[in-house]
Amino acid sequence: MLATILSSVFAAVDDGADAGKAIALGVGGGLGAVGAGVGIGIIFGKVIESVTRQPEMRDEITGIQWLGFALTEACFFYGLVAGLIAFFL
Amino acid sequence: MKTRTKILLGVGGFYLVSLILILVIFGFTRQDNESFQPQNEFKLDTWISLPGPFDINKAVMYLFIAAFLTCATMLWIARRMQARPNRVQTAVEVLFSLMRDNITGGNLDDKMARKWFPFIGTLFLFIWFNNLIGYIPLPTNTEHTFDVFGVAVPGFAIYAATANLAIPLVLALIVFVSYNVEGIRAKGVGGYLKSLIPAGVTGGMAVFIFILEFLSNFMRLISLSVRLFANILAGHLIILFMSGGLAVLLGLEVLGWITLPLGVILFLFEVGLVATLQAFIFATLTAIYLGGAVAEHH
Repeated sequence: MLATILSSVFAAVDDGADAGKAIALGVGGGLGAVGAGVGIGIIFGKVIESVTRQPEMRDEITGIQWLGFALTEACFFYGLVAGLIAFFL
Repeated sequence: MKTRTKILLGVGGFYLVSLILILVIFGFTRQDNESFQPQNEFKLDTWISLPGPFDINKAVMYLFIAAFLTCATMLWIARRMQARPNRVQTAVEVLFSLMRDNITGGNLDDKMARKWFPFIGTLFLFIWFNNLIGYIPLPTNTEHTFDVFGVAVPGFAIYAATANLAIPLVLALIVFVSYNVEGIRAKGVGGYLKSLIPAGVTGGMAVFIFILEFLSNFMRLISLSVRLFANILAGHLIILFMSGGLAVLLGLEVLGWITLPLGVILFLFEVGLVATLQAFIFATLTAIYLGGAVAEHH
């Protein structure tokens, strides 16, 4: 009797741990993508704005644009890698 | 109808027909595969055991290849400089001017740029080669071997040394030490510490800002290394999942065919943009940190 109760409790704990891992991956990947997506959208929007306003600055702006893009995109990967580490390790 | 439309229609039709065929043959049932461990793609098996922490594994092999390529290609081009450049020399010259004018020259003054250009250029090339050879399938997977005329050949796998936290961390440590030493040499210990406080901040606020800036210096160590590591690791994992890993993991054959085009697109994105961009970012931030350390005003 006690053994069956205990085993079902342990199974529930295992399921809970699996669910937690899945949530970690979902939150890390999903919410990370939200923030980085907004950031990348702002960067490219501003680049379009500034290039239409001052087309002669295009080369200079392009350099800064990729710097900002990479810095923002990295934030997505922080969340994603943290989620993947939680899920697989 | 134009040829391009015909080709597109043909490829699209083939894709759809084969998708339906796979669905019909294998069905839409899921069988979880417990034995496939995707994280093992990034496990480092010791190949040659050496005393101390100098064991040779596949990350070390990738590092050697990247270091060799960095030196060999540049020396080879430098020996064969021509007045009328051929295509390879033109490409290298574009790369050289990117390193000298954009990365180093754009962020450092003339004297510092001349002094630090070799370091920043080498850093850029080394990380760039490290990232790029990471996308070439090499026979490195000693866990899964296949037979070629009786010889066990390791499975072909893509792996990048920069997908290990250790390697970007060591590079970031070198950068950290060099810009701090450069700052102290330019201003002295007290002057360097004082220059962390922005001009015009006084009193209790200055103490608070000083602690914040001091700690943010160490945060640079983390952000610099984890950015490169996470980008390359996530890129490789996404390519792995999209080009078949997910189908194997879930035992769902049709999923592999659905995700394959995404895998190809992501592979091209990683090779074309991320590999170069991450090397560029690492070198640019190194230059910015060096410039910030010796600048008169924060």
